[in-house]
Amino acid sequence: MSAMPITDDDLMAYADGQLEGERREAVEQALARDSALAGRVGAIREQNAALRDAFDPWLAEAIPPRLVAATSGTARGSRLARHGPALAAAATLLLGVALGWFGRDAMLERSGTPTSFARQAAFTHTLYAADQRRPVEVWANEEAGLVRWLTRRMGTQAHVPDLNALGYALVGGRLVAGNERPTGLVMYENADKQRLTLQWRLTKEKPSENGEAAFRYVHEEGVSVFHWVDDDCAYALSGPLERTRLLAVARVVYGQLATPGKAAPAEAPPGGAPASPPGPSRTQG
Amino acid sequence: MIDAPLPQPEMLAAIPRLRRYARVLCGDAARADDLVQETLARAWEKRALWRPGTDLRAWMFTIMHNVFVNQRASSMREASHVSLDAETESGRAAWQVPVPPAQFTRVELVEVLQRVGRLPAEQRETLLLAAVEEMKYEEIATMLSVPVGTVMSRLSRAREKLRRMADERPAALKRVK
Repeated sequence: MSAMPITDDDLMAYADGQLEGERREAVEQALARDSALAGRVGAIREQNAALRDAFDPWLAEAIPPRLVAATSGTARGSRLARHGPALAAAATLLLGVALGWFGRDAMLERSGTPTSFARQAAFTHTLYAADQRRPVEVWANEEAGLVRWLTRRMGTQAHVPDLNALGYALVGGRLVAGNERPTGLVMYENADKQRLTLQWRLTKEKPSENGEAAFRYVHEEGVSVFHWVDDDCAYALSGPLERTRLLAVARVVYGQLATPGKAAPAEAPPGGAPASPPGPSRTQG
Repeated sequence: MIDAPLPQPEMLAAIPRLRRYARVLCGDAARADDLVQETLARAWEKRALWRPGTDLRAWMFTIMHNVFVNQRASSMREASHVSLDAETESGRAAWQVPVPPAQFTRVELVEVLQRVGRLPAEQRETLLLAAVEEMKYEEIATMLSVPVGTVMSRLSRAREKLRRMADERPAALKRVK
């Protein structure tokens, strides 16, 4: 019964969530027996929480343009440096998404950037798809729970498309703070570790006069995004894919989400109306 | 569409964390941004060395740590009177509490920052990486090129000092305002 004594390092590693296997079990048993030990673990965790509370606001500060310019190896005065302020605002916005709890309206106001759903989707994709350890909040093994949770929080029935046939397996999903409404996110990954995200949120925007959706394409900060509006939701599919390949995936997603019997929409002409106009111009798609 | 091994969006996304780390290292916001700029420049030069799919944050943090250590070493060679002991008064004076955004000017949070500022640089750094960035001890050890035991002892000393400082706080200051 009396195994190795519990050391201070064990308690600290346990409090930091870094203890595995037998030592972890030993610590858990010791904590159950000894409330003083449990109190010390609690104190470390409280301290960690206080540190995060104190340091996290720093992440939301506006980024100086010279640092944005430095991400592309360009010196001051270059083409990128001139675009620096806009990119800095965009990066600040990105953090606003990361810190969902942080006054995001103030952030949007400060960034001064028009924030379309597609643009937000691209930033959110970049932020989470790059995350190795915590890309999603709920993993694919709890898909049913994920669907229930997103449905409840977003106020609309969530559907998770099955992209296995295209070689993309579900990683999981999360809720993200949107501009006006919460946005649902599900992430997929293929064998090459390439990640796609589908994001959606309720919208008042109408698909189009004739009720048809159209796929719109944007390329934001290195991420391809196809977005469309259908019924009462806006959707955005993002990933580091070439346009036609991403469109193929978007069609499959649309097909699974749309009301049965509805044909996949055409791709909207660049710079065209939000929805494909009826009649002849649809041949462009 | 992402052809470059080090896509700019990921570097952009890393900037806030780099700035925070730099500020914890330097203790002064302006010098911290110089350090971040230097780190980004190095990361750009070395971008071919980054393996896609690995943690970009850890890679860039490592670059930043090394740049900082080298800069500090050369400034110490230039000014031999600068003490190597980070706990001297000059070491403490270098640490200034940056003004947090208005929403967060809660007294307790500012006090936490001030207490962290009184820790030696190595302890501040380790504490940020473990408690705030939630990195694994092993990852931190690799990053800083020190044994895991050193990471843990720095961490436990930092935590103990913070606890003592919090206890020492005069009763009058415990009230807000």
